[in-house]
Amino acid sequence: MHEVGIAQSILEAVGTEMKPHAGARPVKVTVRVGAMSGVDRDSLSFCFEAIVRGTVFEGMLLDIEDAPADELELCHLELEEP
Amino acid sequence: MSGTTTVNLERKVLSENDRLAAELRGEFTRHGIFCLNLIGSPGSGKTALLERTLASFPPDKRVAVLTGDIRTDADARRLARYGFPVRQITTAGACHLDAKMVVRALEGWDLASLDLLFIENVGNLVCPTSYDLGEAAKVVLLSVPEGEEKPLKYPGIFFKSKLMVLSKVDLLPYVPFRLDDAIANARSIQPGIEILQVSTTTGAGMDDWLRWLDKR
Repeated sequence: MHEVGIAQSILEAVGTEMKPHAGARPVKVTVRVGAMSGVDRDSLSFCFEAIVRGTVFEGMLLDIEDAPADELELCHLELEEP
Repeated sequence: MSGTTTVNLERKVLSENDRLAAELRGEFTRHGIFCLNLIGSPGSGKTALLERTLASFPPDKRVAVLTGDIRTDADARRLARYGFPVRQITTAGACHLDAKMVVRALEGWDLASLDLLFIENVGNLVCPTSYDLGEAAKVVLLSVPEGEEKPLKYPGIFFKSKLMVLSKVDLLPYVPFRLDDAIANARSIQPGIEILQVSTTTGAGMDDWLRWLDKR
């Protein structure tokens, strides 16, 4: 169950990207997960929901897209500007 | 001014791990170290393979081992008997090693004194798949009692490994393991994967494994 760590890495990346956007609310982050990446989509979604709870990221959606092979990529982040 | 903004991220989820792994790989290359990341289920025989490997080396062999487990230094103690440098990494719960753990474990070691570094990962066919440790190659162990369908059930690690070591082949007469199917399953995930059959109990296939190491 390393999906907690993967979810944590996603949140760290989102946190970094949020810095120049003061007051913005993160709405959705999109990642691409390949079948050979060793990451299970269901457990990633589960872990993501569990670790955003009670944080500034609560309510942010995780969108998981298909990717070839072992890709495990961050695609984009949707923000709601104040 | 309110509205929705989309920010492109365009990088790997584990980019921080990959950055550290790239640094490690640079260090290994600079010092001419061949580094292998050994991955397999708990009990697949990773430590046994290393024991038999270390036992076959002359005392002046420039080899070292990092061995990862969630708890205990049992493996490091087993491996230290052969007289080569060994360090235990205890992950305190984590199901895999990451590059930062390797960087920390190598602190204070003189890399210039090494030609070969084994990193024995935490026993697990899934999680170690995602984490680059700076190795030249991943080696996956599949032991005969685990069953021939493992490459299909856990494709990621078989996809990423250069070599599959079929371990405990001395048990073939006693367990319902279809060797040809195991090989076909692994090759269906990755046609180019190299495969060796080894028993650390009888020593069968050890020469092939040592030759494979030597070729690097």
